[in-house]
Amino acid sequence: MGSYYDIDDILSEEEPVTVIFRKPANGVGIDPSAEKNCVEQGSKVELPLWIAHELCQRDAVSVNVPACFDEKTRLEIQADPANVDLRSRSPYFYELGCKMAPITGDRTLCYFLFFAFRSRYKEVLTKAHTAAHVATPKVLSRLTNEEIDLYEAAQSSVAAFKKWRVGGSRFQPSSALGRKRRSTD
Amino acid sequence: MTTQSEAQSSAFSAEEMEFVAEDELVDIVPNMRMEPLNMICGDFGPFLPQIAARVPIWLAVALKKRGKCTIRPPEWMSVEKLTQVLEAERDSEKEFQSLPFHYIEISRLLFHHARDDIPDIYMVRSLIEDIRDVRFHKVETSLETFDGRTSAVQIKSLSAMEVNIVRPFVMKALQAFQKLGGLVPESDPLPDSRPPEVDKAAKGRRTLRGR
Repeated sequence: MGSYYDIDDILSEEEPVTVIFRKPANGVGIDPSAEKNCVEQGSKVELPLWIAHELCQRDAVSVNVPACFDEKTRLEIQADPANVDLRSRSPYFYELGCKMAPITGDRTLCYFLFFAFRSRYKEVLTKAHTAAHVATPKVLSRLTNEEIDLYEAAQSSVAAFKKWRVGGSRFQPSSALGRKRRSTD
Repeated sequence: MTTQSEAQSSAFSAEEMEFVAEDELVDIVPNMRMEPLNMICGDFGPFLPQIAARVPIWLAVALKKRGKCTIRPPEWMSVEKLTQVLEAERDSEKEFQSLPFHYIEISRLLFHHARDDIPDIYMVRSLIEDIRDVRFHKVETSLETFDGRTSAVQIKSLSAMEVNIVRPFVMKALQAFQKLGGLVPESDPLPDSRPPEVDKAAKGRRTLRGR
């Protein structure tokens, strides 16, 4: 878990997940399909992760693995990791997965996340280092926020280096000035 | 200029690296007479006409700008040496040739301030560019071989600037690996085609974490 004020941490916990209530709950309006202000046992509700996590700890619900980690995604990742659009599945794909794994008790999820990241980060690196200019939004549209972070780290350091390399004098007066003064000596 | 170092507090900006590199020593041939300079970092001089003295680059540049000396390019900055290095770099897939830690910064400083003191400056410049490109490509390919067992990266004789360029990426990538790899139960092998090795690495990681 990130720090308390970590905005990515907060946003990733906003992702909706499907939960199944194990116990009936009275006086809560979180199930939109229910007629009364209560949730019956066994009803399926979409809740943000942060509340699902709390309820799960109290054994009130069991959490389903979100659709973004379904079999189809896994097969796609296995086939061609670099070209899967993970961003459309969830902008916080890894973060969400990390948080889902202990709740759902899905062991394969860990492997899958690990495998996905390992096979995708190379592409991020290559793209970041070969990007001639800052504008390469096409690649970025497929990456999750975590990967974009990585991309920007690599890209900005290369860009800063290139800028330094071609940059002229910054701290000195121009060489023309120096020459003029020397010739008058 | 400082935005980069502010954004990523762990990395130096290229300008800061250049500043650090200015403390490296070079030989100069003064054309004036001057008492020895007593600096905190050491004593330099005395300066006598046509007698070589060894000074930090910042001092050499300052004297050069006033027309008080010529800078002797370091030994490694000759066409023959650099050609050798470039060939060796191209020949070996993994290894890096030993060059000064700050060779990128030093060469840029000298190209900028003492271009008339470097013989075959165009040749030297393009050789250094080539060497840098070859080396950087090697760094990139070696970074692509992280497999999640990596908890640290060791590359011998990498230069300051090269380290600095990859630092933000490597840190974040390793952190992500640490995070995702930490989730995988350690009793199970990581999803890898080489389970035994992975197991060994998992043990290594455990000791690291226990620290």
